[in-house]
Amino acid sequence: MDALFVPDPYVPQPTLVEFELDRVAVVALLASRLLMESGAAANVVHEECYRIAHGLGAERVDLDAGYVSLEITVARGVARVTRITEVGPHGVDYRLSHEVRVLAKRISDGGLTPAEVMSELTRLKQSTGRHAPWVVALAVGIACASFGRLLGMDWPAYIPVAFSGAVGQWVRHLLLRRGTNLFVVICFVALLASGLAGLGARFVGSTTVDLAMLSSILLLVPGVPLLDGQQDIVQGYPMLGTARVVTCSMMLICMATGVLIARTLLGVRQ
Amino acid sequence: MRIGLLHLLHQGLFGGLAASGFGILFNFGWRDVPWCAASGALALATRTLGQDAGWTLEAASFSAAIAVGCAAKLLHARIGIGSNALAVAGCIPMVPGAFAAKGFFGLYALTAPQPSRPSCQRSTTTEYTLRVLFTLVAIGTGLSITKAT
Repeated sequence: MDALFVPDPYVPQPTLVEFELDRVAVVALLASRLLMESGAAANVVHEECYRIAHGLGAERVDLDAGYVSLEITVARGVARVTRITEVGPHGVDYRLSHEVRVLAKRISDGGLTPAEVMSELTRLKQSTGRHAPWVVALAVGIACASFGRLLGMDWPAYIPVAFSGAVGQWVRHLLLRRGTNLFVVICFVALLASGLAGLGARFVGSTTVDLAMLSSILLLVPGVPLLDGQQDIVQGYPMLGTARVVTCSMMLICMATGVLIARTLLGVRQ
Repeated sequence: MRIGLLHLLHQGLFGGLAASGFGILFNFGWRDVPWCAASGALALATRTLGQDAGWTLEAASFSAAIAVGCAAKLLHARIGIGSNALAVAGCIPMVPGAFAAKGFFGLYALTAPQPSRPSCQRSTTTEYTLRVLFTLVAIGTGLSITKAT
């Protein structure tokens, strides 16, 4: 990560203040990027970015948070530095988000240098724990079946839906790790999970096959991004909010398409 | 107003299970997962009470989001999880994903070469789509209100 701070020999050398500000901009951007990628709403990203940059000595901070990139300008006196970074795939990781916010609080209390913050952020990114994939698959399966009960699905379909939800989550994990397009993954997982749930529910004699098929794909509903998008729009970040809502709508269309294909294949009536 | 206690317990239990399952998916630590379950149970119990009292799904979801947001805020200092994160985890079981899917099925059916009973399809599809929109707005507004206060 120190390579980020090596000045380019082909451009005019920055002043000492600009060099320091550059370090501040880089760490504030990294923290903001981690927050965006772990599902934080725009106002949280802005708050923590300002807190970090001010805590490290910037006097003025401007952040432009977009769906695919973040741009920051930090200034002290007449010196000013602007940096931009890409945002990776948007996920939800509350543990990482919480750790970054705790670090931001420590930075605002003072005593940390940009280099220390950079190494701490890198450590958080690499070592923040995640649940084992099989644990997540099992939990998601149970969650889908529980959703089914809330929707009025009968008891016999509970196990088939839990199983198909778990398989769907496992396959989603594998495909996303291979870098498959998110929308293709959603469509395929919806087809697979609802197909399995439909077959399983029929096999055990459920009278709510249609609900079982719907419940098994609720793992694909982008609930957090939808709520984030709405919050972003309400709190004055309409561009980011709209981008989130449009992406979520595409996800829902792909999800419905997958289920519709499974329903057609299984001959389930609407 | 007669509330089926068993129904209330059922909704609370499965709301809690759904929220804790999604809590694990969202990478809450093991220490925080029971709080996700409690948050989901509170949300579903409040929504069920509201619906049993004759409120619309949207009004009941709004009240549930407010209840969960306030509880998360009160517990924030004690349990250390971000209050917004906990409230969102609790509200996830109320996101009307099934209605959204049904709304899209309706849209597909309407665009078929020969739709059966198109006027009936149109009204059902519009109803599902509006319910998704209004419920999401109700949950989001409830969460935003508690966050802002």
